[in-house]
Amino acid sequence: MADQAKRTMTLNLTDAEMRVLEQLSAQKDLSKTAVIRQAIRLYQLVDARITRGEKLFFEDEDKKAKSELMVL
Amino acid sequence: MRIAVGLIDVSTGEPVQAELFDDVTIEDFLQTQRDWRPLVLEAAQRLTRAGDRPSIIPQHFHWDWTRKEGDLRMLANRFYGIRREDKLQGLAKLMTVGHVCRLPEQAGKPLVYVDYLEVAPWNIKPLMTALGRPHRFAGVGTRLVEIAVRLSVDEGFRGRLGLHSLPTSEPFYINTCAMTPVGPDATKQNLTWCEFTPAQADGFLGR
Amino acid sequence: MKMNTDPNWLKKKASMEDGGFVSVGGLVSEIGMPGREFPVNADPLRHAFVRLLQLKRREKSLSLEELANKADIDLAELMRIARDEHHTPNILTVCRIAEFFRLPQRPLLALAGLLEPTDDSFQHESLRFAARSEPVEKLSREEHKALEEYVKFLCDK
Repeated sequence: MADQAKRTMTLNLTDAEMRVLEQLSAQKDLSKTAVIRQAIRLYQLVDARITRGEKLFFEDEDKKAKSELMVL
Repeated sequence: MRIAVGLIDVSTGEPVQAELFDDVTIEDFLQTQRDWRPLVLEAAQRLTRAGDRPSIIPQHFHWDWTRKEGDLRMLANRFYGIRREDKLQGLAKLMTVGHVCRLPEQAGKPLVYVDYLEVAPWNIKPLMTALGRPHRFAGVGTRLVEIAVRLSVDEGFRGRLGLHSLPTSEPFYINTCAMTPVGPDATKQNLTWCEFTPAQADGFLGR
Repeated sequence: MKMNTDPNWLKKKASMEDGGFVSVGGLVSEIGMPGREFPVNADPLRHAFVRLLQLKRREKSLSLEELANKADIDLAELMRIARDEHHTPNILTVCRIAEFFRLPQRPLLALAGLLEPTDDSFQHESLRFAARSEPVEKLSREEHKALEEYVKFLCDK
């Protein structure tokens, strides 16, 4: 991908959102920026497949149950 | 991105310059079908006739070609190729989302997942021996693993890497690269999941 | 991104690699299970592929050019597929044909010789289709005339 130059933006988050971001950052051993970048990539991936008509499920192996994730 | 990388020319044992690039297009994948596939098929035929077939390779572990063009646009996917003498020598698809570490000491942490990695058949000794020719370049696989590790570092994953190794490739990943074989993955036809810790990744890079 | 430029590191790694398999997925994984006949005879399958394409076009009354335009396929490639059963079509073309005619992609890729068939019945059924679908309708007047003239030409030689 040729366009790897980085640009800066300011992000306004609620206290709760910031707490979650900090928690994920600690859990995943990632900077907060890296967590946000992962979230964008995941959103794009999921969105592309849902647009194609696929569905996203969580599967509980123990309960042998599947539940559909809310469409984003 | 296009950068010069060294490979080893097997005929001389000396480094030669190749180009590592990340602006992979569908044409590069079609080139693998045009230039690589016939040689792989021919070598496989000869190996089969000689009763010396490569060990069990899962039949359906195959990248879905129909998704390729869409895959190229996803931010989560990064593609790298190596070119020398105007020919594709190796190709890889790496994912930065969707897979996490399984080793207990780093379980759940993000890693770069090697979804696809391949070198041209003329660089694979057993295939070229079956065709009665020497293989051409060494180090292509190493360079592709190197770029995967460096991407992992760039992404903040500290070099963590994961992949499902084909049985024939296990010596490379487990012995040469010194990845930890975590075990067979029943969801991926029992292919062995191999993983790098940050320390192992550093060791691989020679740091 | 800076790659390792130490030639000693590269030589050491290359020597350990020793030209062995390094694939994750890819062509090597298409070779399939030991004990299977490989590869299957691609020609009869290719013949079935060409017949399938022909019949699907006729079903929709499409010329090759019309199909090329509507399915966004290179016309020259389509003509090679239609006229030369030994030509290996490119994957993108086969995928677009599958998409346009709403056919399943993997079996079509196997029929075109780009993937190994998934089971033994595949070749059998494909050959049956190719054999059953050979046209047996009567010749048109123009075809009959052209045939007569050509046979006469051959006999006069």
